Amino acid sequence: MRTAGIDIGSITAKAAILDTGKILGTRVSFTGYNVEIAAKKVFEDLLEELGLKAQSIERIVSTGYGRNGVAFAHKAMTEIICHGTGAHYLNPRVRTVIDVGGQDSKALLVDENGAVKDFVMNDKCAAGTGRFLEVMARAMEVNLDDFGALSLNAGSPSKISSICTVFAESEVISLISKGEVRENIIAGIHDSAASRVYAMAQRIGATPPIMMTGGVAKNIGMVRALEKKFNQTIEVSDLAQVNGAIGAAVLAGRL
Amino acid sequence: MESIREFIAASQHPHAYARALKESGTAIIGYLCSYTPEEIIHAAGLHPMRLFGSAEDISLADTHLQSYCCSLVRGALADVLAGNLEYLDGAVFPHTCDTIQRLSDIWRLNTKFRFFADVVLPVKLTTESSRAYLSDVLKKFRMDLEEAFDITITNEALHDSIQTFNTIRDMLNTLYEIRSENPSKISGRDLHGIVKGSMIMDRDAAAQALVKIADELRAEAAPPAPKRKRVLVAGSVCSHPDVYTMLEKAGAEVVWDDLCTGSRYFGGMISTSGDPIEAIAQRSFDRLICPAKHKSITIRGENLVQAAREHDARGVIFLQLKFCDPHSFDYPYLKEFLDSQHIPSMLLEVEDQLPGEGQLLTRFETFVHML
Repeated sequence: MRTAGIDIGSITAKAAILDTGKILGTRVSFTGYNVEIAAKKVFEDLLEELGLKAQSIERIVSTGYGRNGVAFAHKAMTEIICHGTGAHYLNPRVRTVIDVGGQDSKALLVDENGAVKDFVMNDKCAAGTGRFLEVMARAMEVNLDDFGALSLNAGSPSKISSICTVFAESEVISLISKGEVRENIIAGIHDSAASRVYAMAQRIGATPPIMMTGGVAKNIGMVRALEKKFNQTIEVSDLAQVNGAIGAAVLAGRL
Repeated sequence: MESIREFIAASQHPHAYARALKESGTAIIGYLCSYTPEEIIHAAGLHPMRLFGSAEDISLADTHLQSYCCSLVRGALADVLAGNLEYLDGAVFPHTCDTIQRLSDIWRLNTKFRFFADVVLPVKLTTESSRAYLSDVLKKFRMDLEEAFDITITNEALHDSIQTFNTIRDMLNTLYEIRSENPSKISGRDLHGIVKGSMIMDRDAAAQALVKIADELRAEAAPPAPKRKRVLVAGSVCSHPDVYTMLEKAGAEVVWDDLCTGSRYFGGMISTSGDPIEAIAQRSFDRLICPAKHKSITIRGENLVQAAREHDARGVIFLQLKFCDPHSFDYPYLKEFLDSQHIPSMLLEVEDQLPGEGQLLTRFETFVHML
């Protein structure tokens, strides 16, 4: 059975198509302002890329913050459930999933079947999410793709004490004007974001093996900073960003 | 149902209700905590009015209170400073948490109502000495009211008031039982409005109306129970009726609660015989406690598990006011207690406003899916 998962995040829209549990393809594009258009586009582009027709997809599950705006999906499920299922699909041994996206960060515990046992989500503040890193990369005039890697060259990471994104940006600007080494500041930024995520994950008692998913998992600086906090290796799949869409496609097969 | 709408209107527009009551000549005493001896206020011919705090603009309170004080206390202070509570003749502050105690001082120094009282209740509700102390505190409160309003509170009036409040408690409990049995009979949102309205409305009118609502609901043919998962809500004050509708949208029904705007308000009846003050004191020892009181190390966990089992709730949602120290201190142990009984739970911290609907629905839907 062919199934699809559509994950509409705050910044990017993701699609995944599976055939009897095997990934045929995945795709990422920007969400923009219209969820419905974003969902259709990412889905149709992926179909075209794979040379498939929409009718050949039997079941579709939508997820992400825009999940209820995807009219062609058979069911909408939360991204927490889908990331748990996706991580379990990629590695069934995983027991904790840390999903950091554009404006949300979540930690969830999954059982041996990939079902969510407990979860926690940032509520009041977006420090420790992709948007925080984006704002900081802009303040540092560094391309977001290079941002994480640069942090690995730090001799002595700076200390960023503000939790608030706006105050943290001011702190970064004063560090720049003081002439602090760029890599040190960038490492400090990653440590600060990782601290938020770590503190949140500890509330549910993160247990190994830990997998990181979501767009921010592509940032090696964030992964290393989190590994330092957890004092253990964090698994990151090449499909981390589309993990929610994969989970949705897996769940579509169970409808 | 017409009578339900009356409660909901009072819960939505408490100030308008209080002003109308005031115009009819009734003096009003405000309070914030369910340990307030409402019967004594009522027996004095005064109206006990629970204050829930403004949800509109609480910035006035920020001049006096740090941002780490809960939104209930900041909202109540903002309300009184903005002049929204001009109908009050006074207020009473039972000592529950430190923040309410600090509010009491700020209130006393910044308002000019006729009556003000701190009622310093005991924390440990296990000893004979605390029982004797509580009785003395209540007697003093009775005397303070008598002096301030130049009246005499008779034992007969106290017995009548006890009867009225017992009816309110009994009927609220009945309505909760009716909903637990079949949630289709009355919505969580309506029941929330009824409990909240019962703390605002004239108590004699509320008692009568509750009896009527309970009778009508009992007589009504039961529509089939909805196919939603049964959950219990635990925490302090719930001023967010939207929580009930959002949970329904996410596939869950709140079938019981452990809230001070819920079962902790109506739990425990007062004996109608013997000395009325001793009887009122005894209820504090009998009722379900909040985390600002002590009965035993594990009593709250045991109560919570028992309520979940009795009402067949598959999960518990902790609805807590951000920065509420007593509830936050209890949360880890309560969660462990539920975990050990395999009852899943989730924590939702709220302030005067609920978090964004999208975020909240994501958490509710995930939790309901887990059950």
